Amino acid sequence: MAAILKAENLEKVYRVGKVDVPALRGVSLEVQQGEFVAVMGPSGCGKSTMLHLLGGLLTPTRGRIVIDGEDLTAASDAKRTDIRRRKIGFVFQRFNLFPTLTAEGNLRLAERIHANGADDPDRRREVLRLLRLEDKMQHKPLELSGGEQQRVALARAVVTQPALVLADEPTGNLDSENSAIVLKMFQELNNRFNQTIIMITHNPEAAAACGRIIQMRDGHIV
Amino acid sequence: MNSLVISNIRQRPLRSTISVIGVSLGVALVMLFTGLARGMSNDLQRRSSNMRAEILFTRPGSIQINTSSTNLSTKYVERLRQIEGVESATPVIRYFYPSGSFGVDQIEGVEWNDFAKMNNVRLVQGREPRQADEVVIDETKAARKHPVGSALKIFGEKMYRVVGIYAPESGARAKLTLASLQEILEAPGKCTYILVKVKNPNDQVAVARRIDQELPGNKVQFTRDVFASIESSIPSLGIFLRVLVGLAAVVSALVIMLAMHTTITERTREIGILKAMGASRRYIISEIEREALLISAMGLVVGFALAAAAGFFIHKTTSLIFEFGWGWALTAALIGLLGGALGAFYPAIRAANLDPVNALAYE
Repeated sequence: MAAILKAENLEKVYRVGKVDVPALRGVSLEVQQGEFVAVMGPSGCGKSTMLHLLGGLLTPTRGRIVIDGEDLTAASDAKRTDIRRRKIGFVFQRFNLFPTLTAEGNLRLAERIHANGADDPDRRREVLRLLRLEDKMQHKPLELSGGEQQRVALARAVVTQPALVLADEPTGNLDSENSAIVLKMFQELNNRFNQTIIMITHNPEAAAACGRIIQMRDGHIV
Repeated sequence: MNSLVISNIRQRPLRSTISVIGVSLGVALVMLFTGLARGMSNDLQRRSSNMRAEILFTRPGSIQINTSSTNLSTKYVERLRQIEGVESATPVIRYFYPSGSFGVDQIEGVEWNDFAKMNNVRLVQGREPRQADEVVIDETKAARKHPVGSALKIFGEKMYRVVGIYAPESGARAKLTLASLQEILEAPGKCTYILVKVKNPNDQVAVARRIDQELPGNKVQFTRDVFASIESSIPSLGIFLRVLVGLAAVVSALVIMLAMHTTITERTREIGILKAMGASRRYIISEIEREALLISAMGLVVGFALAAAAGFFIHKTTSLIFEFGWGWALTAALIGLLGGALGAFYPAIRAANLDPVNALAYE
């Protein structure tokens, strides 16, 4: 298997007023293509910071990140955005769908950003079928349940065939029934499309659905 | 069209409507003022161009486009008629007065038969004015519910009887006898200018020179020059219109800037999502600019409709004339669109520069 993600000795220090607050203290990580990895740890241990660094939303204070052969840390802001556009899909705890757009509008927006107007109807149909969303496409987010919204968010993240999906507590806002459904969808995407996924979670049951679990504490992987 | 842009406009109907109205007011302002200026000047020009006389004989400073004085002795008429090359000469008093509604109207005092013969004006109904309280009017004025036999209020409460309707329109739309207007203005034996028709139009320059030599100290003008560009002869009209256009642009830009600034603050989280999805700075700026341009375009349509409705209303209820001009319409359209685009530019840049992590955490 090829490594889709390599993170070497990542450090991130936030400046709060005149005080330096270290969030990551030298994290190294390698994820192979098709892996489904859970990242666990207590609040404030640096999980979200690491996810934001891996997604190119933040730049590390030190260290190096290579995603699918492209060095994220050496890239300019515009280049990082471009890598994110081509290689990464995000799923958030709060779904973060565009409330004014239908489910289909949210998907098409992702396709438009990803491919400047070009889309892949076959891929979209396949994703929708897998996530059982075919009959929900004309609904706006507020007309959908939490589980359905998160499935739309998941569809939006994977419809552009990213090398890596980064999920930040995707079941954190869902009840247990919907959590189970969404986790099953993650697993199916991982199995069906060999989709690489890194998922932050507090939920041991969710972590158990993953192939590998990484534990973090105080800015370190333990 | 991008569905995110349209859905955002639909999502905030009140703010979108206010923005559209703001832009439309700027556009309507430009269209209305320039349309009125154009309508009035073209109307004056059209009526003036129907004069057949080649030369206008006045006292220096006695005639402007919107003011007139009655300080020229009618004794010059006979002296002008005796100059070689002159076919005829006829005195005219032109007088401006506030019309009953908003605007300014004008009236002329003429010796009807001489004036009509010189300028090929004919009576299509009724007869010429003979008494002090009689007036003839052109067909445009007659169409505004002033048939022959009706009463017409001209100076304050003083009533005049319409005794004839003439065509084509030439000079003022209403004409009294010269003697009547002299009496009203307490200027016996005086007029504003004398129209001079030359025997051979090709000789008008030579005739004008001859008049100047024989009657020095007066002003000899060619009618073609006097009425060539009435719009440009109105002092500062061009500056006024340009200032107006500038103000309209500023209004449009400020309205859009305010609307988009508020929008960006409200949509901070959504911009964070766009950034997380890999939207470039250019993409985010273009989304916001497209929204501003769409609002501006809607403002243009509403502005043109408002201007047309207001112009029609003014035309019907006052003596002012509104004329649509494609040049100014294009200017107004550019002002509206450019104002919108410029107004949205700062908020768009601000949005594009938002930190994605902070934007995603925005409540």
